[in-house]
Amino acid sequence: MKKQIYILLSIVFITLGADRPEETNAKIKAIYIYNFTKYIEWPESYRQGNFVIGIIGSNNTLINELNKMATVKTVGNQHLEIKNISPTSDVGCHIIYLLSDNSMQLAEVMEKNKNKSTLIITDKAGLATKGAGINFVVQENKQKIELNKSNIERYKLKVASSLVELAIQVK
Amino acid sequence: MKHVVKKLGMILMLLIASVVSAQEEDPLRVAISHLQKGSLDSAKMVIDQLITDPQAVKDGNVWYYRGFIYKSIYNKWEKKDKQSNSRMEALKAFKQSLAIDTTKVTIAENRKNIKYLTTTLYNDACTSLDSIDYKLGIETFELFKEYYMLIDSSQENFKQYNIKFLQALGSVYAKIFEDDKAVKSEIKEANKNKKAELLKLAVDAYSKIIILDPNNNSAYYNIGTLYYEHGANLIRQLDYGTDIPTLNDAQDNTFTLYRQSLPYLEKAYKIDPTRIQTLYGLYSIYYSLNELEKSNEFKRILDEIEKK
Repeated sequence: MKKQIYILLSIVFITLGADRPEETNAKIKAIYIYNFTKYIEWPESYRQGNFVIGIIGSNNTLINELNKMATVKTVGNQHLEIKNISPTSDVGCHIIYLLSDNSMQLAEVMEKNKNKSTLIITDKAGLATKGAGINFVVQENKQKIELNKSNIERYKLKVASSLVELAIQVK
Repeated sequence: MKHVVKKLGMILMLLIASVVSAQEEDPLRVAISHLQKGSLDSAKMVIDQLITDPQAVKDGNVWYYRGFIYKSIYNKWEKKDKQSNSRMEALKAFKQSLAIDTTKVTIAENRKNIKYLTTTLYNDACTSLDSIDYKLGIETFELFKEYYMLIDSSQENFKQYNIKFLQALGSVYAKIFEDDKAVKSEIKEANKNKKAELLKLAVDAYSKIIILDPNNNSAYYNIGTLYYEHGANLIRQLDYGTDIPTLNDAQDNTFTLYRQSLPYLEKAYKIDPTRIQTLYGLYSIYYSLNELEKSNEFKRILDEIEKK
């Protein structure tokens, strides 16, 4: 009456989740961006049609995350629309997010949108002093935002004081 | 003379009859006889009665047969019962017999039976390791440990069983985590404490392996991965409409977990610098901590190894 001991079918190595680390960082940025739509007020004429977020640069993970967000969230009654655009694009965007690899094109983007109500977001140290309304920065390993109020208001946008207080203020 | 012989013969017959009858009434023999006939209920009744006798409880043979009868009951009716009482009664009886009877043959028999029953305990402990019965698995493993030590006091042998069991246990906790990803967010919120408890239990299980085997690569890697995944999940689970203060709190908690994860993955890397999953884990953590220089370095090593 000999009984064999089972060979355990245990998982010797746990596998990492299917999500890549880029996706977690993209999610954090997507949440920030959605918050901007709540704390910043666009002129009346911008409150119809889709709410357009234009991305300049190549980051599929971020674009996918924003597209995911667009399927479940709206800005008031406006549907979110994510577009990959060029710096010289004529597409009217509520937000333009200039990715870090394209930071050099900030001046071009500002010039192109100077008469529009567009929030310009960047992703490289120092750009909030060079024209960006909001700039993503890493502080103590965490994703934070720098905010330049006058750069935002220059585009006829109103920013809530609560957002200003939550950001690192840059002049 | 003839009359005397006849009388003596009758006395002898009476004597034999009384001896036979005395033998038949010996409860141990009666119990054995029932056992041999397969009347296990009757055997059990007689042997249970016998151990109430103060003299019989001092007899190792009585305990041995009690163990054997209960083992037979377990084999016949309770084999699928992971909490079988008969198995426990059998083990207790063999243990008692082992403590009383020091004759070589009985010791060997007791040990053989304990070995058989502990094997069934170990199997049941392992097969209980799922998201529902894992607590029963842990209790059963503790019983296995108690009785296994009676037959093999070598720590080295037990260590191997222990490591395998802890490995399986850790992976059960990890599986519960994994399954939780599919749960709706409101349930997740309610399960928050349970998840923290499971994380602790899984880390405890792998930490015990590290104590037993300080160079166990998978234990280090698994602890690191559990902390990392738990942290990443805190962000993954957030709604896009989460306000910034809540997002910042989640980032704080996440990065604390990433920091906890790092030394374990670094240690796993030291033990085996070529393991792809460890390299990917380190690349992921440093990326998530926004330490891109280090992240890129691990990505470079990873790419080099993958090219080979």
